[in-house]
Amino acid sequence: MDKNTVELLARRAGLDKALAQFSDDVAAAAKQASDAVAKIKVPVDPRAEPWPPMRVGTGL
Amino acid sequence: MNDLHWMTVEEATQAIAARKLSPVELMKALLERIGRLDPKLNTFIRLDGDAAMDAAMAAEAEIASGHQRGALHGVPVGIKDIIDVGGLPTTCHSKLLVDNVASADAVCVSRLRGAGAIVLGKLSTHEFAIGGPSFDLPWPPARNPWNTDHHPGGSSSGSGSGLAAGLFPMALGSDTGGSVRNPASACGIVGLKPTYGLVSRRGVFPLSFTLDHVGPMTRTVADNALMLEIIAGHDPLDPGSVAASAGHYETKLERGVRGLRIGYIRHFHEEDMPADAEVTAALEHVASTLQKLGAGIRDVRLPILGEFAAVNRVILQSEAWAIHGQWLRERPEDYGQLARRRLMSGAFLSAGDYVQAGRRRLEMISAVEAALREVDILLCASAMDPPSRIDDPAAVERTYPRQARTPFNVTGHPALAMMSGLSSSGLPLSVQFVGHNFAEATLFQVAREWERAAGTDNSHPRLV
Repeated sequence: MDKNTVELLARRAGLDKALAQFSDDVAAAAKQASDAVAKIKVPVDPRAEPWPPMRVGTGL
Repeated sequence: MNDLHWMTVEEATQAIAARKLSPVELMKALLERIGRLDPKLNTFIRLDGDAAMDAAMAAEAEIASGHQRGALHGVPVGIKDIIDVGGLPTTCHSKLLVDNVASADAVCVSRLRGAGAIVLGKLSTHEFAIGGPSFDLPWPPARNPWNTDHHPGGSSSGSGSGLAAGLFPMALGSDTGGSVRNPASACGIVGLKPTYGLVSRRGVFPLSFTLDHVGPMTRTVADNALMLEIIAGHDPLDPGSVAASAGHYETKLERGVRGLRIGYIRHFHEEDMPADAEVTAALEHVASTLQKLGAGIRDVRLPILGEFAAVNRVILQSEAWAIHGQWLRERPEDYGQLARRRLMSGAFLSAGDYVQAGRRRLEMISAVEAALREVDILLCASAMDPPSRIDDPAAVERTYPRQARTPFNVTGHPALAMMSGLSSSGLPLSVQFVGHNFAEATLFQVAREWERAAGTDNSHPRLV
């Protein structure tokens, strides 16, 4: 993720204050996120469902 | 009675019930030891010594009058400071919640108190149960009693440190990416992440709703089973709680492992994340010992460790962002750097990333279920390295992700970490056992057999 994209996403998330005071931390957070996403093998079957599934609630 | 501080929960409850030990005598011994050692270990965020002594005196009077409150009557317990204890602050080890006084006990605390346990105080954690040992928070990080220059693991750091140091015989921890099992591994104690939904999370500050577990931490396997017996059970007001039958965790403790089938996940520590040589040797020793005791060992393969960790991270950080987003926008300066970095990551993940991680999660659950159809239990590494120095951020950063605990937060299967031996430098090494959902009794059975064979329950650090 390039610097401009990081800044754009940070501002969209409302992290202007963090960006001003802790820009290194914002950059590190963005890198952690993109590194994790890159390691996941997305299921190829379009019917693959996420876990946990929707369940009807009882007693809540 | 000598060495009251090394008494197990089982020994203490028996001695108290038989009126050979007074809860007051036990409490005095522990408070004296805490007063002497806690300044070196930073185990407690808040010691509630006066209230604990009052409770011990009340327990003594109740027992003298023939009233036994429950299986833990008069036994002290430490509580990780993300878990509510009514009337005490739940700080989450953070400046943000310094004055956050809990109005009621968390369900797990209430169950322990109902069984007669006495709350000693609130224990150190990583800030909001994430990050690592931090020196920029209102309280210092806990230290490892085996060598106070070393990290005790986390995030249930105070729980692990205090147990290993003999400051209390049982503690509560929480585990979202390994936070019960990491300090269990680093401090040479027993830590269980139960099956997801077995122990209520109500009254516990959340980190990640679908990954959070509350777990018992003790010095022995039998004590862990006893503690789980008390805290497990359905809570209709916890949306993740499962109405499965809970209990009877001690029934198989002394049955041995003859005839049990154990799947050994070697690729985690041999290929995916090559472990320290002493860690590997200790794991081989555990496997060969259990084999000699009659278990069948076979190799098992699961998805690679790095991908489990990535799925855990995307889910954790997405859910944590939903919890912390507002504070991170308004008060980023009130977080320590480690937690701030970890928690802000969720701002850079999309809804699609979160759902894709959930889809892969289901495939990972299926993979572990398939492996468990062939065996009774899985054996694998917990930590890939001995505990690192606490004052070396680079070493902490390097070793922290080198672990095999996150897979079972992703899948929800019960997992127990305990000591596998000691390194040449005298620090604990670890092993992890993983079971079928809700089959904690079998986990305890195997863990107890290893404990009996290796004598890990009698291995304590030398503290002055």
